[in-house]
Amino acid sequence: MSVLTKMYRGETHFDFVGISKKTLIVSAALVVLSLVMLLVRPLNLSIDFTGGVIVTVENEAGADITVVRSSLDDIGQAGARVQLTGDGLILIQTEALDAASQDELVLTSAAVAGTDVNAVTIDAVGPTFGAEVTQAAIQALVVFLIVVALFITWRFEWKMALSALAALAHDLIITGGIFALFGFVVTPATVIAILTILGYSLYDTVVVFDKVNENVELMHDQYTYTEIVNTSMNQVLMRSINTSMTSLIPVGSLLFVGSFALGAHTLREFAMALFIGIALGTYSSIFVAAPLLAMWKEREPDWIAERKRVARRRGGSMSAVTAATVPTKVETVPDAPTAPTGASGAAARAPRKRKKRR
Amino acid sequence: MSRKKALLTLLITLAIAWGSIGAMLLAGWAPKLGLDLQGGFAVVLVGPEGTDPDTLDTAVEIMRRRIEELGSVQEPEISVQGERSIVVQLPGVDDRERALEAVGTTGEMSFRPVLDLVLESPALTDPEGDHPDNLDLVTGLSDPDDVHATIAYLPSEDGAFVYIVGPAFLTGSDMKGGRAQFSGTGGLGGAGGWVVVPEFTDEGGEKFRLATGSLATYPVGAPQRRLAIVVDGVVGSAPEVAAGVSPDEGLDPNQVVITIGSSENPQAESEDLAAILNYGALPTTFERERVESVSASLGADSLKAGLIAGLLGLALVTIYMIIYYRVLGVIAMVGLTVFGSLLIGAIILLGEFQGTTLTLAGVTGIIVSIGITLDSYIVYFERVKEEFHSGRPLRPSIDHAYPGAFSTILKGDTVTFLAAVLLWLLAVGPVKGFALTLGIATIVDVFVSYYYTRPGTWLVAHSALGEGGWFSIRGAMGKSSQPSIPAESVEVTS
Repeated sequence: MSVLTKMYRGETHFDFVGISKKTLIVSAALVVLSLVMLLVRPLNLSIDFTGGVIVTVENEAGADITVVRSSLDDIGQAGARVQLTGDGLILIQTEALDAASQDELVLTSAAVAGTDVNAVTIDAVGPTFGAEVTQAAIQALVVFLIVVALFITWRFEWKMALSALAALAHDLIITGGIFALFGFVVTPATVIAILTILGYSLYDTVVVFDKVNENVELMHDQYTYTEIVNTSMNQVLMRSINTSMTSLIPVGSLLFVGSFALGAHTLREFAMALFIGIALGTYSSIFVAAPLLAMWKEREPDWIAERKRVARRRGGSMSAVTAATVPTKVETVPDAPTAPTGASGAAARAPRKRKKRR
Repeated sequence: MSRKKALLTLLITLAIAWGSIGAMLLAGWAPKLGLDLQGGFAVVLVGPEGTDPDTLDTAVEIMRRRIEELGSVQEPEISVQGERSIVVQLPGVDDRERALEAVGTTGEMSFRPVLDLVLESPALTDPEGDHPDNLDLVTGLSDPDDVHATIAYLPSEDGAFVYIVGPAFLTGSDMKGGRAQFSGTGGLGGAGGWVVVPEFTDEGGEKFRLATGSLATYPVGAPQRRLAIVVDGVVGSAPEVAAGVSPDEGLDPNQVVITIGSSENPQAESEDLAAILNYGALPTTFERERVESVSASLGADSLKAGLIAGLLGLALVTIYMIIYYRVLGVIAMVGLTVFGSLLIGAIILLGEFQGTTLTLAGVTGIIVSIGITLDSYIVYFERVKEEFHSGRPLRPSIDHAYPGAFSTILKGDTVTFLAAVLLWLLAVGPVKGFALTLGIATIVDVFVSYYYTRPGTWLVAHSALGEGGWFSIRGAMGKSSQPSIPAESVEVTS
């Protein structure tokens, strides 16, 4: 059977935890790189956070950039950033201005672009307002993380909560690093996107952990925690991939059609953050959250004991029962761990009774 | 689940979803578009630290009245935000200057002597005459008005008269405020009625005394005996100095009442006037913290981009889902129309009854929610596959997979819903629009999953499309090389 067929039928036996020893190094490296990137090239915050004025006007007169600059010099806005876009717009960005200077700027840009004053789009933000928006965003983020951590601790356990948060931090930092690297503008829309990413990443992680917990109940007598995590992830793999695909396709079309083809600039940063974030979120729930959890749980005395017992029973040394060798073995055992959920628990019923472990 | 029950549930759900959206569209209802999608104008005004909430409310009232006078605004949204900010949203306004004037921070109030009262501007009736030079060519009125001009032609509030006025005696900075009250002895002929009691600063009171003294030299009934209260170039009211006031002493500023003349609603009118006096008393407190003006064409472009992106995304997702899930993919896509109808229906209803507008952030929320609702199908269908591969026959797999899938869907939607509520509560501006559509979407998703997906899938499984060939549910399960072996062996051992 080809890998694709196996994936289609949900019969894959990828050793995610085994692979993740390598991918975690890559992830850690990316996180460090992103942090360095963020320090070296701070995020390009939009005027919503810093205060400032952006004027957008259709360049009907076809004015070239020197004309625009010189007319801005005339009204004392020599420091303004001027940009002529491919689709015939003039973008002018300045620092925060008082009301009179704003009006002056609008009149000047309308004149230089040869349009009516009312066709000028202006977005002017005062510095205090920007600070309030930033504060509100950070507040929302912190409260969100706390609530989520409490929710997972309540529904699952605190080690899962911390693993999930580690995956979230991974997604956030790398997304931030990419934004810093390419100098993408961070807008309030980007903040929304980031909060959405957190939701996605978390939801993905919750689905994996849900499955892990379900499987621990069914399989804990015969398999190590790592094997259980691997089995669980193989079971939810297609859901993760399909969900990511059906989420990424609309967001991708928003990104490419909406912002590049039709020039709706407002959508670009938003879709960009979503696109990067959803992809990262799917990756991190499989390659960060779950492996971290597996490694952590394997250090618990109960699971160390389990690992030894499993090794003994399979007649190998402990090292022979690394996760990597298990899947091939699993295919040859009749009551394979891919089956237990479907068999209403019967598959994994323990040959001998032992106390249930969490 | 019986066939009858499944069919009934499905039909009722479809009727509710498609019927309600159809009825709304027939009734001509459509989502109310935010100003970033239809163009318009938004301002955030911030008062100084520690601004009294009542002051903010008064300011909101005054702005609302002024904006209503603009006429062209469809649904102005003016609200207090946070401690000391006022957000004014004027979708569809394309006259930037007038809109800014309406919410103007410089709302200037002045008391000016009336020189004459005429029906039409002298500049129109006597074009050759000597006139002030800042007149509007069409209306013949002073525009912009300068409160210190020696002569100005200003309209009355209802536009019926033109007041010819002199330079201001007092301006807003001479006022502390004013309040409307019912006076038993006030009103016309002392019969009792609504009056406005202005309050002056010490300096303003002295100016007022001198001003009314000079007006009192004119005979009762003469226009020159009137004092025009001018707000932003419009004469809001022009009360006459009462008979018997001594030209030497003028009116005592501490005992002045402005009587409201014959009016259909003297209470409202006196409150308006008091509000004007109050607003004039806070001339410089509001700062324009944020001005956002979106031209109508840019708004339309954004809307178009959002729609095209949404439709293209849908088309691609449809292809993906149908190739992957065959007839189940069709169930998901029909379900998406149910989901979409309910979601858009909710947005329309909120727009009609709450005035909630659909912004660009809201549109992106809808696009994001496509992924959320499709996930519910994927979770369910993957569970069905899992059950099927464990050896269960197809139809029992479909029944058996639902409870577990629904539990996962409910958990996921709860997390997303909580996130949306948090966003709604904590965030400001565009984020709220996004949180709203996202929150509604999660509720709709749970509803659709239970009342559409479950009966729908059951019915298809019990039709010819259940087991019949490539496109059927059976076809979507993938060929099983060793059907039902693992589970049966398990069944035996247990």
